[in-house]
Amino acid sequence: MAGSLKAPSPPRWLLAELTYACPLQCPYCSNPLDYANFTNELNTDEWKRVLKQSRKMGAVQLGFSGGEPLVRKDLTELVSYSHDLGYYINLITSGYNMDEAKIIELKEAGLDHIQISLQASSKELNDYIAGTESFEHKKVVAKLIKKHDYPMVLCVVLHRENIHQMKDILEMAIELDADFVELANTQYYGWAHHNRDQLMPTQEQLQEAEAIAKEYQESQAGKMKIYYVIPDYFENRPKACMNGWGTTFLTIAPDGLALPCHSARQLPNFECPSVRDNSISEIWNESTAFNYFRGDDWMKEPCRSCPEKDKDFGGCHCQAFLLTGDATNADPVCDLSPLHHLVTDAIEQAAMTAAEKPLVFRNSKNSKVF
Amino acid sequence: MSIQATSVPQLSPTYRLQWEEAQNMFVLLYPEGLIELNQSSAEILQVCDGKNNVTDIVSALEKKFDTTGLENDINNFLNTALGNGWITQSA
Repeated sequence: MAGSLKAPSPPRWLLAELTYACPLQCPYCSNPLDYANFTNELNTDEWKRVLKQSRKMGAVQLGFSGGEPLVRKDLTELVSYSHDLGYYINLITSGYNMDEAKIIELKEAGLDHIQISLQASSKELNDYIAGTESFEHKKVVAKLIKKHDYPMVLCVVLHRENIHQMKDILEMAIELDADFVELANTQYYGWAHHNRDQLMPTQEQLQEAEAIAKEYQESQAGKMKIYYVIPDYFENRPKACMNGWGTTFLTIAPDGLALPCHSARQLPNFECPSVRDNSISEIWNESTAFNYFRGDDWMKEPCRSCPEKDKDFGGCHCQAFLLTGDATNADPVCDLSPLHHLVTDAIEQAAMTAAEKPLVFRNSKNSKVF
Repeated sequence: MSIQATSVPQLSPTYRLQWEEAQNMFVLLYPEGLIELNQSSAEILQVCDGKNNVTDIVSALEKKFDTTGLENDINNFLNTALGNGWITQSA
């Protein structure tokens, strides 16, 4: 199935998921539930080939992510190589096991920015959600990142267990001198989808959190930029996923699978191509996976005749698949979808059952069950 | 806060201005973000070097493009850039 015939725009964003290994066990991790099955990681030379070919295609924003990218022994070498190619390099990390020597080494190699995650504003909750004692260490690392003049994004994923800490989280961000704060309500993919009932906040929690975020956005204007990402389950229109499929973003998974979005490997509609078998140019321009949702030929109603189809592209296909079983359906977040009740039912179900179920933490033992 | 004729704008240290061959344009890069610039925005940002004041910038660009009357457009763009944090200004 081909999308539109005109040449696709070049990739601008490359997300390099270097490894699925991670010392943390966050129960909302976006990695696949069965990540433990994918052990055949790309080696250094294979990553260099990906980086070079993607840069030539037009990719300029580069995220090293995972799992925990610091686990890779060749991280500094890959940063240095990417810097020479002209990438703007973001490291997306838990900060765990990072020390000052590594922060300096990465800076000298050309790393431009570090996004560090915290799980909560208190030690007890942070360490519980992370599944690992890490709170004090992460705060030390955040201060070292600023000491060495990196721009720093502080990322906190929000859910039922921590959203009440909004004010303390923002005060912590000020104390740590973050340049940007990303308050990202959980998106329900991967482990988060499995733990959805336990993670979904209530409407009241959200309203309170949003009001606090707004208050700080105003008081911190010009000092710290605060992004508050609302949870799409509580919206009436879907997000414009990936800025349009195959238009901007290219994700490479640890085992070399090229994904139009980082959840795409679960979609049954196509096989995602591997960088071990294909060049980035072949993958981007010719593969079935990257062409599948380009343009609007694939659309069914209510998207096909919708005046907003060029704005949200039918929403998120992975979410349509997870909730309706068919990725070519409209994202049911949209209240024009005949299946929108799946989203409102999920919110109601969570409110009733959250207290009864334990969180399933993201680790290799739990992953092998899937 | 708005830009003054005597103030000296400079690209903010969080941002990087870069020519992109594949897209044939200048882009502004910052943590996890990318702004694609049209030609006039790119021309203005290239002379925000922390040495030229706004009057210098206007005359440099009017000379380069052999034209006059750019002051308003340049001021508007610099105010937007300042509001977005792309540039900082010193007196």
